[in-house]
Amino acid sequence: MTVENFYEYIRGDYVGTKARLMTDERILRFVNKFPADGSYRLLLDSIASSNVEEAFRAAHTIKGVAQNLGFTALYLSSQEVTEILRGGSLDVADKMPELTKCYELTIDGINKLNA
Amino acid sequence: MRTDMERGKILIVDDSEMNRAILTDILQDEYDIIEARDGLEAIDVLSKDGDSIVLMLLDIVMPRMDGFSVLSKMNENNWIQNIPVIIISSENASLYVERAYELGALDYIQRPFDTLVVRRRSLNTITLYGKQKAMDGVAESQLARNSADKSVVINIYNNLLVHGDVNKGSHTENVAAVCEAILNNLGGISFKYKLSPADIQNITIASTLHDIGMSVVDKSVMTDDGERSESERRKHARLGAEILSKLPDSDSDPLLKRAIEICRYHHERWDGSGYPEGLTGDRTPIAAQVVAVADVYDALTNKKLNPDAITHDEAIAKIMNGECGAFNPVLMIVLKTIADTLPAKLK
Repeated sequence: MTVENFYEYIRGDYVGTKARLMTDERILRFVNKFPADGSYRLLLDSIASSNVEEAFRAAHTIKGVAQNLGFTALYLSSQEVTEILRGGSLDVADKMPELTKCYELTIDGINKLNA
Repeated sequence: MRTDMERGKILIVDDSEMNRAILTDILQDEYDIIEARDGLEAIDVLSKDGDSIVLMLLDIVMPRMDGFSVLSKMNENNWIQNIPVIIISSENASLYVERAYELGALDYIQRPFDTLVVRRRSLNTITLYGKQKAMDGVAESQLARNSADKSVVINIYNNLLVHGDVNKGSHTENVAAVCEAILNNLGGISFKYKLSPADIQNITIASTLHDIGMSVVDKSVMTDDGERSESERRKHARLGAEILSKLPDSDSDPLLKRAIEICRYHHERWDGSGYPEGLTGDRTPIAAQVVAVADVYDALTNKKLNPDAITHDEAIAKIMNGECGAFNPVLMIVLKTIADTLPAKLK
Protein backbone atom coordinates (compact mmCIF):
# COMPACT_ATOMS: atom_id res chain seq x y z
CA MET A 1 0.00 0.00 0.00
CA THR A 2 1.37 3.43 -0.91
CA VAL A 3 0.84 6.51 1.20
CA GLU A 4 -1.61 7.76 -1.41
CA ASN A 5 -3.59 4.47 -1.28
CA PHE A 6 -3.62 4.71 2.51
CA TYR A 7 -5.26 8.13 2.37
CA GLU A 8 -7.87 6.83 -0.07
CA TYR A 9 -8.58 3.90 2.26
CA ILE A 10 -9.16 6.06 5.34
CA ARG A 11 -11.06 8.75 3.39
CA GLY A 12 -8.32 11.32 3.92
CA ASP A 13 -6.79 14.13 1.91
CA TYR A 14 -3.49 13.01 0.43
CA VAL A 15 -2.99 15.93 -1.95
CA GLY A 16 -3.57 18.57 0.71
CA THR A 17 -1.42 16.76 3.28
CA LYS A 18 1.44 16.26 0.87
CA ALA A 19 1.30 19.96 0.02
CA ARG A 20 1.47 20.94 3.68
CA LEU A 21 3.94 18.40 5.04
CA MET A 22 6.04 18.28 1.85
CA THR A 23 7.28 14.70 1.72
CA ASP A 24 5.87 11.16 1.94
CA GLU A 25 8.67 10.36 4.32
CA ARG A 26 7.56 13.01 6.79
CA ILE A 27 3.90 12.03 6.41
CA LEU A 28 4.80 8.41 7.17
CA ARG A 29 6.76 9.38 10.23
CA PHE A 30 3.78 11.16 11.74
CA VAL A 31 1.17 8.69 10.58
CA ASN A 32 3.11 5.94 12.34
CA LYS A 33 3.08 7.90 15.58
CA PHE A 34 -0.69 8.13 15.48
CA PRO A 35 -1.54 4.72 17.07
CA ALA A 36 0.52 5.60 20.14
CA ASP A 37 -1.46 8.78 20.80
CA GLY A 38 -3.65 8.15 23.83
CA SER A 39 -6.32 10.73 23.07
CA TYR A 40 -8.91 8.27 21.74
CA ARG A 41 -8.57 6.07 24.83
CA LEU A 42 -8.77 9.15 27.04
CA LEU A 43 -11.91 10.31 25.25
CA LEU A 44 -13.66 6.96 25.89
CA ASP A 45 -12.56 6.89 29.53
CA SER A 46 -13.55 10.50 30.16
CA ILE A 47 -17.01 9.98 28.68
CA ALA A 48 -17.39 6.83 30.81
CA SER A 49 -16.45 8.77 33.95
CA SER A 50 -18.56 11.80 32.93
CA ASN A 51 -15.54 14.09 32.93
CA VAL A 52 -16.73 16.49 30.26
CA GLU A 53 -13.72 18.83 30.38
CA GLU A 54 -11.22 16.05 29.92
CA ALA A 55 -13.41 14.52 27.22
CA PHE A 56 -13.50 17.88 25.42
CA ARG A 57 -9.72 18.20 25.47
CA ALA A 58 -9.25 14.63 24.23
CA ALA A 59 -11.72 15.09 21.37
CA HIS A 60 -10.14 18.45 20.61
CA THR A 61 -6.70 16.84 20.37
CA ILE A 62 -7.96 14.08 18.06
CA LYS A 63 -9.52 16.78 15.91
CA GLY A 64 -6.28 18.78 15.74
CA VAL A 65 -4.08 15.80 14.97
CA ALA A 66 -6.50 14.42 12.38
CA GLN A 67 -6.70 17.83 10.77
CA ASN A 68 -2.92 18.17 10.58
CA LEU A 69 -2.45 14.70 9.15
CA GLY A 70 -5.28 15.09 6.66
CA PHE A 71 -7.41 12.31 8.16
CA THR A 72 -10.52 14.03 6.85
CA ALA A 73 -13.17 11.52 7.93
CA LEU A 74 -11.78 11.30 11.46
CA TYR A 75 -11.39 15.07 11.58
CA LEU A 76 -15.04 15.68 10.68
CA SER A 77 -16.44 13.10 13.10
CA SER A 78 -14.23 14.28 15.97
CA GLN A 79 -15.19 17.86 15.27
CA GLU A 80 -18.87 17.06 15.84
CA VAL A 81 -18.08 15.38 19.14
CA THR A 82 -15.78 18.23 20.17
CA GLU A 83 -18.46 20.86 19.64
CA ILE A 84 -21.03 18.97 21.74
CA LEU A 85 -18.50 18.53 24.57
CA ARG A 86 -17.39 22.15 24.34
CA GLY A 87 -20.90 23.17 25.32
CA GLY A 88 -20.56 21.10 28.49
CA SER A 89 -22.85 18.29 27.35
CA LEU A 90 -21.90 14.61 27.49
CA ASP A 91 -24.70 13.76 25.10
CA VAL A 92 -22.44 12.31 22.42
CA ALA A 93 -23.93 8.81 22.09
CA ASP A 94 -25.27 9.64 18.60
CA LYS A 95 -21.94 10.88 17.32
CA MET A 96 -19.47 8.51 18.92
CA PRO A 97 -20.12 5.49 16.69
CA GLU A 98 -19.02 7.44 13.61
CA LEU A 99 -15.89 8.69 15.39
CA THR A 100 -15.06 5.16 16.55
CA LYS A 101 -15.62 3.80 13.03
CA CYS A 102 -13.27 6.43 11.54
CA TYR A 103 -10.68 5.88 14.25
CA GLU A 104 -10.63 2.12 13.75
CA LEU A 105 -10.51 2.55 9.99
CA THR A 106 -7.47 4.82 10.39
CA ILE A 107 -5.68 2.35 12.68
CA ASP A 108 -6.53 -0.48 10.28
CA GLY A 109 -5.16 1.59 7.38
CA ILE A 110 -1.91 2.26 9.22
CA ASN A 111 -1.50 -1.48 9.90
CA LYS A 112 -2.04 -2.21 6.22
CA LEU A 113 0.37 0.56 5.22
CA ASN A 114 3.08 -1.07 7.30
CA ALA A 115 2.26 -4.66 6.35
CA MET B 1 25.58 30.26 10.00
CA ARG B 2 24.89 29.72 13.64
CA THR B 3 27.28 27.50 15.50
CA ASP B 4 26.00 24.88 17.91
CA MET B 5 26.86 27.13 20.81
CA GLU B 6 24.64 29.93 19.53
CA ARG B 7 21.61 27.88 18.58
CA GLY B 8 18.48 29.51 19.91
CA LYS B 9 15.79 27.43 21.58
CA ILE B 10 12.18 27.17 20.55
CA LEU B 11 9.68 26.21 23.23
CA ILE B 12 6.80 24.13 21.87
CA VAL B 13 3.80 23.98 24.20
CA ASP B 14 1.10 21.48 23.23
CA ASP B 15 -0.63 18.69 25.15
CA SER B 16 -0.60 16.40 22.13
CA GLU B 17 2.65 14.53 21.63
CA MET B 18 1.78 14.17 17.95
CA ASN B 19 1.47 17.89 17.48
CA ARG B 20 4.74 18.53 19.31
CA ALA B 21 6.46 15.88 17.21
CA ILE B 22 5.28 17.48 13.98
CA LEU B 23 6.43 20.96 14.99
CA THR B 24 9.72 19.62 16.30
CA ASP B 25 10.30 17.82 13.03
CA ILE B 26 9.71 21.02 11.06
CA LEU B 27 12.01 23.23 13.15
CA GLN B 28 14.73 21.07 14.63
CA ASP B 29 17.22 21.58 11.80
CA GLU B 30 17.77 25.21 12.75
CA TYR B 31 16.86 25.32 16.42
CA ASP B 32 17.05 23.37 19.63
CA ILE B 33 13.57 22.37 20.71
CA ILE B 34 12.20 22.28 24.24
CA GLU B 35 8.78 20.67 24.66
CA ALA B 36 6.19 21.39 27.33
CA ARG B 37 2.99 19.40 27.73
CA ASP B 38 0.84 22.10 29.29
CA GLY B 39 0.90 25.68 30.52
CA LEU B 40 2.41 24.87 33.90
CA GLU B 41 5.35 23.09 32.31
CA ALA B 42 5.78 26.03 29.94
CA ILE B 43 5.92 28.55 32.81
CA ASP B 44 8.43 26.32 34.56
CA VAL B 45 10.68 26.28 31.47
CA LEU B 46 10.32 30.04 31.01
CA SER B 47 11.27 30.81 34.59
CA LYS B 48 14.37 28.63 34.42
CA ASP B 49 15.50 29.02 30.83
CA GLY B 50 13.59 32.05 29.51
CA ASP B 51 16.69 33.94 28.39
CA SER B 52 17.72 31.34 25.85
CA ILE B 53 14.28 30.98 24.25
CA VAL B 54 13.92 32.81 20.95
CA LEU B 55 10.37 31.75 20.17
CA MET B 56 7.41 30.04 21.79
CA LEU B 57 4.79 28.09 19.84
CA LEU B 58 1.72 27.87 22.03
CA ASP B 59 -1.44 25.76 21.88
CA ILE B 60 -4.61 27.14 23.47
CA VAL B 61 -6.64 24.16 24.72
CA MET B 62 -4.51 22.26 27.23
CA PRO B 63 -5.05 20.59 30.62
CA ARG B 64 -3.94 22.16 33.94
CA MET B 65 -3.15 25.57 32.42
CA ASP B 66 -4.31 26.73 29.00
CA GLY B 67 -2.58 28.99 26.47
CA PHE B 68 -4.45 32.14 27.50
CA SER B 69 -3.34 31.68 31.10
CA VAL B 70 0.24 31.23 29.91
CA LEU B 71 0.02 34.56 28.04
CA SER B 72 -1.47 36.27 31.11
CA LYS B 73 1.32 34.92 33.30
CA MET B 74 3.91 36.11 30.77
CA ASN B 75 2.38 39.58 30.93
CA GLU B 76 2.45 39.52 34.72
CA ASN B 77 6.13 38.58 34.74
CA ASN B 78 7.08 40.97 31.92
CA TRP B 79 8.30 38.04 29.81
CA ILE B 80 6.01 38.82 26.90
CA GLN B 81 8.27 41.71 25.80
CA ASN B 82 11.27 39.42 25.45
CA ILE B 83 9.84 36.19 24.12
CA PRO B 84 7.80 36.24 20.91
CA VAL B 85 4.77 33.93 20.96
CA ILE B 86 3.01 32.33 18.00
CA ILE B 87 -0.29 30.63 18.76
CA ILE B 88 -0.96 27.39 16.90
CA SER B 89 -4.53 26.27 17.31
CA SER B 90 -7.36 24.58 15.48
CA GLU B 91 -9.66 27.14 17.05
CA ASN B 92 -10.62 29.68 14.44
CA ALA B 93 -13.34 31.60 16.30
CA SER B 94 -12.43 35.28 16.09
CA LEU B 95 -12.97 35.55 19.84
CA TYR B 96 -10.02 33.20 20.41
CA VAL B 97 -7.81 34.89 17.86
CA GLU B 98 -8.58 38.36 19.17
CA ARG B 99 -7.98 37.39 22.78
CA ALA B 100 -4.62 35.83 21.90
CA TYR B 101 -3.50 39.02 20.14
CA GLU B 102 -4.75 41.17 23.00
CA LEU B 103 -2.65 39.13 25.42
CA GLY B 104 0.45 39.82 23.37
CA ALA B 105 0.73 36.89 20.93
CA LEU B 106 2.51 38.07 17.78
CA ASP B 107 0.98 35.65 15.34
CA TYR B 108 -1.80 33.07 15.08
CA ILE B 109 -1.44 30.00 12.91
CA GLN B 110 -4.50 27.83 12.35
CA ARG B 111 -4.50 24.09 11.90
CA PRO B 112 -4.10 22.34 9.64
CA PHE B 113 -0.86 24.15 9.14
CA ASP B 114 1.48 24.12 6.23
CA THR B 115 5.03 23.02 7.04
CA LEU B 116 6.48 25.84 4.99
CA VAL B 117 4.26 28.46 6.59
CA VAL B 118 5.14 27.39 10.14
CA ARG B 119 8.82 27.39 9.29
CA ARG B 120 8.77 30.74 7.51
CA ARG B 121 6.63 32.51 10.09
CA SER B 122 8.76 31.13 12.92
CA LEU B 123 12.02 32.17 11.29
CA ASN B 124 10.64 35.60 10.34
CA THR B 125 9.40 36.24 13.85
CA ILE B 126 12.75 35.26 15.35
CA THR B 127 14.66 37.42 12.86
CA LEU B 128 12.45 40.48 13.34
CA TYR B 129 12.59 40.14 17.10
CA GLY B 130 16.36 39.76 17.03
CA LYS B 131 16.67 42.87 14.85
CA GLN B 132 14.42 44.82 17.19
CA LYS B 133 16.58 43.85 20.13
CA ALA B 134 19.74 44.82 18.25
CA MET B 135 18.13 48.19 17.46
CA ASP B 136 17.32 48.69 21.13
CA GLY B 137 20.98 48.05 21.87
CA VAL B 138 22.05 50.66 19.31
CA ALA B 139 19.62 53.20 20.77
CA GLU B 140 20.98 52.51 24.24
CA SER B 141 24.61 53.01 23.27
CA GLN B 142 23.58 56.16 21.40
CA LEU B 143 22.01 57.39 24.63
CA ALA B 144 25.21 56.64 26.50
CA ARG B 145 27.29 58.51 23.92
CA ASN B 146 24.97 61.54 24.01
CA SER B 147 25.22 61.57 27.77
CA ALA B 148 29.00 61.39 27.66
CA ASP B 149 29.07 64.35 25.26
CA LYS B 150 26.72 66.25 27.53
CA SER B 151 28.80 65.62 30.64
CA VAL B 152 31.98 66.94 28.98
CA VAL B 153 30.29 70.23 28.11
CA ILE B 154 28.65 70.51 31.52
CA ASN B 155 31.98 69.91 33.20
CA ILE B 156 33.76 72.68 31.28
CA TYR B 157 31.12 75.34 32.00
CA ASN B 158 30.71 74.21 35.55
CA ASN B 159 34.41 74.41 36.36
CA LEU B 160 34.67 77.78 34.71
CA LEU B 161 31.73 79.12 36.74
CA VAL B 162 32.51 77.57 40.10
CA HIS B 163 36.28 77.73 40.10
CA GLY B 164 36.96 80.33 37.44
CA ASP B 165 39.23 77.80 35.76
CA VAL B 166 38.37 75.02 33.32
CA ASN B 167 41.23 72.90 34.65
CA LYS B 168 40.09 72.78 38.28
CA GLY B 169 37.56 70.16 37.52
CA SER B 170 38.93 67.17 39.35
CA HIS B 171 36.46 67.65 42.23
CA THR B 172 33.32 67.57 40.08
CA GLU B 173 34.69 64.66 38.05
CA ASN B 174 35.55 62.76 41.21
CA VAL B 175 32.15 63.40 42.75
CA ALA B 176 30.55 62.03 39.58
CA ALA B 177 32.81 58.96 39.64
CA VAL B 178 32.03 58.19 43.29
CA CYS B 179 28.30 58.79 42.71
CA GLU B 180 28.29 56.42 39.78
CA ALA B 181 30.09 53.73 41.77
CA ILE B 182 27.63 54.08 44.67
CA LEU B 183 24.57 54.10 42.40
CA ASN B 184 25.71 51.08 40.42
CA ASN B 185 25.95 49.08 43.64
CA LEU B 186 22.94 50.48 45.47
CA GLY B 187 20.42 48.22 43.71
CA GLY B 188 22.33 45.13 44.81
CA ILE B 189 22.08 46.13 48.46
CA SER B 190 18.63 47.68 48.75
CA PHE B 191 15.45 47.36 46.71
CA LYS B 192 14.14 50.59 48.20
CA TYR B 193 15.49 52.97 45.57
CA LYS B 194 14.37 51.79 42.17
CA LEU B 195 16.84 53.50 39.86
CA SER B 196 16.97 52.63 36.16
CA PRO B 197 20.23 52.80 34.17
CA ALA B 198 18.94 56.11 32.76
CA ASP B 199 18.32 57.43 36.30
CA ILE B 200 21.86 56.46 37.31
CA GLN B 201 23.26 58.18 34.25
CA ASN B 202 21.27 61.36 34.91
CA ILE B 203 22.19 61.54 38.58
CA THR B 204 25.86 60.96 37.76
CA ILE B 205 25.93 63.78 35.21
CA ALA B 206 23.78 66.07 37.38
CA SER B 207 26.11 65.51 40.33
CA THR B 208 28.78 67.60 38.60
CA LEU B 209 26.50 70.62 39.02
CA HIS B 210 26.15 70.32 42.79
CA ASP B 211 28.14 73.50 43.55
CA ILE B 212 26.89 75.59 40.62
CA GLY B 213 25.36 78.00 43.17
CA MET B 214 28.89 78.95 44.28
CA SER B 215 29.18 80.96 41.07
CA VAL B 216 26.67 83.50 42.37
CA VAL B 217 27.41 83.74 46.09
CA ASP B 218 28.88 87.04 47.11
CA LYS B 219 32.63 86.44 46.74
CA SER B 220 33.48 89.65 48.62
CA VAL B 221 32.44 88.13 51.95
CA MET B 222 33.99 84.76 51.23
CA THR B 223 37.53 85.76 51.96
CA ASP B 224 37.39 86.06 55.71
CA ASP B 225 36.84 82.91 57.73
CA GLY B 226 34.15 84.28 60.00
CA GLU B 227 30.51 83.38 60.59
CA ARG B 228 29.32 85.74 57.88
CA SER B 229 31.42 83.91 55.34
CA GLU B 230 29.98 80.54 56.37
CA SER B 231 26.36 81.73 56.19
CA GLU B 232 27.05 83.27 52.79
CA ARG B 233 28.69 80.09 51.59
CA ARG B 234 25.71 78.01 52.69
CA LYS B 235 23.49 80.01 50.34
CA HIS B 236 25.04 78.21 47.38
CA ALA B 237 22.68 75.27 47.84
CA ARG B 238 19.45 77.22 47.37
CA LEU B 239 21.01 79.56 44.83
CA GLY B 240 22.16 76.68 42.64
CA ALA B 241 18.67 75.21 42.63
CA GLU B 242 17.21 78.63 41.80
CA ILE B 243 19.53 79.17 38.84
CA LEU B 244 18.66 75.80 37.36
CA SER B 245 14.93 76.20 38.06
CA LYS B 246 14.87 79.19 35.77
CA LEU B 247 16.05 77.15 32.81
CA PRO B 248 13.46 76.08 30.24
CA ASP B 249 12.18 72.50 30.79
CA SER B 250 13.48 72.53 34.37
CA ASP B 251 10.26 70.89 35.55
CA SER B 252 10.27 68.18 32.89
CA ASP B 253 13.87 67.41 31.92
CA PRO B 254 14.96 64.42 34.02
CA LEU B 255 18.60 65.53 34.15
CA LEU B 256 17.71 69.07 35.23
CA LYS B 257 15.23 67.82 37.81
CA ARG B 258 17.94 65.68 39.38
CA ALA B 259 20.42 68.55 39.25
CA ILE B 260 18.01 70.87 41.08
CA GLU B 261 17.44 68.27 43.84
CA ILE B 262 21.16 67.75 44.15
CA CYS B 263 22.02 71.47 44.35
CA ARG B 264 19.41 72.18 46.98
CA TYR B 265 19.87 69.15 49.21
CA HIS B 266 23.47 67.95 48.94
CA HIS B 267 24.32 69.39 52.35
CA GLU B 268 21.42 67.75 54.18
CA ARG B 269 22.25 65.00 56.68
CA TRP B 270 20.36 61.83 57.64
CA ASP B 271 19.71 63.08 61.21
CA GLY B 272 18.42 66.49 60.11
CA SER B 273 21.59 68.35 61.09
CA GLY B 274 22.33 69.55 57.54
CA TYR B 275 21.25 72.60 55.57
CA PRO B 276 19.39 74.42 54.04
CA GLU B 277 16.17 72.66 55.14
CA GLY B 278 17.36 70.31 57.90
CA LEU B 279 15.58 67.39 56.21
CA THR B 280 15.82 63.96 57.85
CA GLY B 281 16.17 60.47 56.36
CA ASP B 282 14.71 59.82 52.95
CA ARG B 283 12.97 63.19 52.90
CA THR B 284 16.19 64.17 51.20
CA PRO B 285 16.07 62.82 47.63
CA ILE B 286 18.36 59.83 47.16
CA ALA B 287 20.30 61.62 44.40
CA ALA B 288 21.29 64.37 46.84
CA GLN B 289 22.12 61.84 49.57
CA VAL B 290 24.53 60.07 47.26
CA VAL B 291 26.15 63.31 46.14
CA ALA B 292 26.56 64.35 49.79
CA VAL B 293 28.63 61.23 50.48
CA ALA B 294 30.67 61.65 47.29
CA ASP B 295 31.22 65.37 47.96
CA VAL B 296 32.50 64.75 51.49
CA TYR B 297 34.74 61.90 50.38
CA ASP B 298 36.44 63.93 47.65
CA ALA B 299 36.69 67.05 49.83
CA LEU B 300 38.62 64.94 52.36
CA THR B 301 40.94 63.18 49.94
CA ASN B 302 41.43 65.56 46.99
CA LYS B 303 44.91 67.11 47.25
CA LYS B 304 44.19 69.72 44.57
CA LEU B 305 41.27 70.98 46.59
CA ASN B 306 42.47 70.52 50.12
CA PRO B 307 46.07 71.05 51.20
CA ASP B 308 45.36 69.05 54.35
CA ALA B 309 43.93 66.10 52.41
CA ILE B 310 43.88 62.78 54.23
CA THR B 311 44.30 59.28 52.86
CA HIS B 312 41.55 57.16 51.37
CA ASP B 313 41.44 54.83 54.37
CA GLU B 314 41.30 57.71 56.83
CA ALA B 315 38.51 59.36 54.87
CA ILE B 316 36.39 56.20 54.69
CA ALA B 317 36.87 55.67 58.44
CA LYS B 318 35.91 59.29 59.18
CA ILE B 319 32.73 59.09 57.10
CA MET B 320 31.74 55.74 58.60
CA ASN B 321 32.31 57.07 62.13
CA GLY B 322 29.89 59.90 61.51
CA GLU B 323 32.60 62.56 61.84
CA CYS B 324 31.30 64.27 58.69
CA GLY B 325 27.68 64.11 59.76
CA ALA B 326 25.16 61.27 59.61
CA PHE B 327 24.48 59.54 56.32
CA ASN B 328 21.93 57.00 55.12
CA PRO B 329 22.99 53.65 56.67
CA VAL B 330 22.30 51.87 53.39
CA LEU B 331 24.72 54.20 51.59
CA MET B 332 27.32 53.46 54.27
CA ILE B 333 27.00 49.74 53.51
CA VAL B 334 27.42 50.48 49.80
CA LEU B 335 30.40 52.73 50.49
CA LYS B 336 32.05 50.03 52.57
CA THR B 337 31.47 47.53 49.76
CA ILE B 338 32.99 49.69 47.03
CA ALA B 339 35.62 51.53 49.12
CA ASP B 340 38.56 49.54 47.74
CA THR B 341 37.60 50.34 44.14
CA LEU B 342 37.42 54.11 44.62
CA PRO B 343 41.05 55.34 44.53
CA ALA B 344 41.53 53.92 41.02
CA LYS B 345 38.52 55.88 39.75
CA LEU B 346 39.69 59.29 40.98
CA LYS B 347 41.89 62.03 39.60
